[in-house]
Amino acid sequence: MEALDALMGGFASALTPTTLLWGFVGCLVGTMVGVLPGLGPALTIALLLPLTYHVPATSMFVMFAGIYYGAAYGGSTTSILLNTPGETASVITSLEGNKMARQGRAGQALATAAIGSFVAGTIGTLALTLVAPFVVEIALAFGPAEYFSLMVLSLVAVSAVLGKSLLRGLIALGLGLLIGMVGIDLQTGQMRFTFGQPELLDGIEITVAAVGLFAVGEALYLSWQGRSTKPEALMKLSGSLWLSAGDWARSWKAWLRGAFLGFPIGAMPAGGAELPTLLSYYTEKKLTKYPQEFGKGAIEGVAGPEAANNASAAGVLMPLLTLGIPTSATAAVMLSAFEGYGIQTGPQLFTNNAALVWTLIASLYIGNVILLILNLPLVGLWVKLLKIPPPWLYAGIIIVSIIGVYGAGNSIFNVALLFVFGLLGYLMRRFDFPAAPVLLGLILSPMAEQSMRQALTISQGQWSTFVTRPISAGLLAVSVLLLVAPAVLRAVRR
Amino acid sequence: MTPTRVGFLLISLCLIACWQVLNIPESAIQMAVGPALAPASIVGLLLCLAFLYTLSAWRGRQVDEASEPSQAALPGAAYRMLALLSGGVVFMGTVSFAGFVLPATLCGMLIARSFNATLGLRSFLICSCISTGFWFLFNPMLGVGIGPATPFGF
Repeated sequence: MEALDALMGGFASALTPTTLLWGFVGCLVGTMVGVLPGLGPALTIALLLPLTYHVPATSMFVMFAGIYYGAAYGGSTTSILLNTPGETASVITSLEGNKMARQGRAGQALATAAIGSFVAGTIGTLALTLVAPFVVEIALAFGPAEYFSLMVLSLVAVSAVLGKSLLRGLIALGLGLLIGMVGIDLQTGQMRFTFGQPELLDGIEITVAAVGLFAVGEALYLSWQGRSTKPEALMKLSGSLWLSAGDWARSWKAWLRGAFLGFPIGAMPAGGAELPTLLSYYTEKKLTKYPQEFGKGAIEGVAGPEAANNASAAGVLMPLLTLGIPTSATAAVMLSAFEGYGIQTGPQLFTNNAALVWTLIASLYIGNVILLILNLPLVGLWVKLLKIPPPWLYAGIIIVSIIGVYGAGNSIFNVALLFVFGLLGYLMRRFDFPAAPVLLGLILSPMAEQSMRQALTISQGQWSTFVTRPISAGLLAVSVLLLVAPAVLRAVRR
Repeated sequence: MTPTRVGFLLISLCLIACWQVLNIPESAIQMAVGPALAPASIVGLLLCLAFLYTLSAWRGRQVDEASEPSQAALPGAAYRMLALLSGGVVFMGTVSFAGFVLPATLCGMLIARSFNATLGLRSFLICSCISTGFWFLFNPMLGVGIGPATPFGF
């Protein structure tokens, strides 16, 4: 009941014209970055971090939430019309969505994706509203040892689950942890990994790393390939945007199942959106009355995964808001934005900045409505965006990237660092290393070190504190399981 | 570049990091964990992983997109990448005295060149429109300080 009262207060704040406008801009920009290849919500939010000096926190986070949800919506358009997912979570949508477009049913595919995203996004936000206060109560029992173990679990899970190789995932994580150590140690004042450069004393900004890895890295990779010189062939926007009674009947259960898969998996460390979309696709394939249509353009194969994708976006926000632990690259960048405002995330956020949190949650409900209105009628506009020739598209993306980095402090050193991270991003893309663990490692390593030190100070230097406290021991045991289980399973299968 | 070379690159990076860890001074403050423990642990872990990766790459078990025909680079890859990186260098070299728009335009032209657009008037006009548009959006409208548009202070 208390949560509902707080949510009503959040709605009152989110429905003020200024906040609503920021939410609208966020949804618009989010859909655009979801549609455009080479851009994603993590990169876009990172680019907008310099704005945190000028815009109130509530407006900024409402916009960021709009970008996050909007990108999840927008990704489906390229999957369906271009067979090229704008983001990894939309890969599954392209399997059936593009086949529907080839059959002249692009409109229906886009409609079920948009309505499913709305339904699942709303269910996910409702679950966030109801579950978050309980998680906060549990999190209040966490001490530094538990936080350290939780961060270890989050980092290990991201590295183990993302990408195709555990070894490459762990190397990416190690690089992120190392980069996170650059700068002055806040407890002792000693310089670490600075090479005597005063520009590195404050550490490496997440904007520089995120934008370099994702935007410049992607542009370098594509220019290395030399294949993206013309816009790709688009499918015609065929078929009605209205769903028939048959389409509704086949879609609604898939939306609900997708939502119930997406939220809990999204809320887990490293759950992300890829796993629930895949699970949703296979669930629909198993339950459908029309198995012969799968692989040829089954509407359930679009409805379920798109719903799972959007519900997982709400799920990812839960550990960020309640525990202060990011479980995706976008959440890591958002955490950096919270830090920029001097706001401490975690259970205290719900007491110290309750108005901000509930406005943010309320804005997610409103954002879902805005996105439903934006997505379907404006689909023609989104299609036109895909016709921008790659040379001008990437020129624009890199210029905006430079603005995002240069605008934070007019530092030419940071622009140089941006291109260094771009080269790292290119190598990681080419040799199949996942990029998200680098960002999570970068942001979590100073936090994990601080928690470790606090835990050891409390325990008077006893390392056993991490395994004698039950919650901490449990979290560490799960981390070890995640590392060891795949190898053991492989050995058993042999 | 091959996966084995990437492995050697990682090992070299770890060795440089080891040298930096050895340069971290001991803290005068009495505490359970000093400033070098976490960096040393991370570098140690990364060094082990880099060795494993190099060994695995040497045995041919690591992937390179260049070896897949559908993903491999077309001829002129080094030239295209150099054009893109030159865009960044030109921006860094000129932004301190030429305002924002001209360096960003030149940078944009070189990036477009890396995607096989020709360097010419059309490219200059499109990139100057992009950089001027973004300067207006970010500097006067959103208040992000990216300096004056031109060297003449406006």
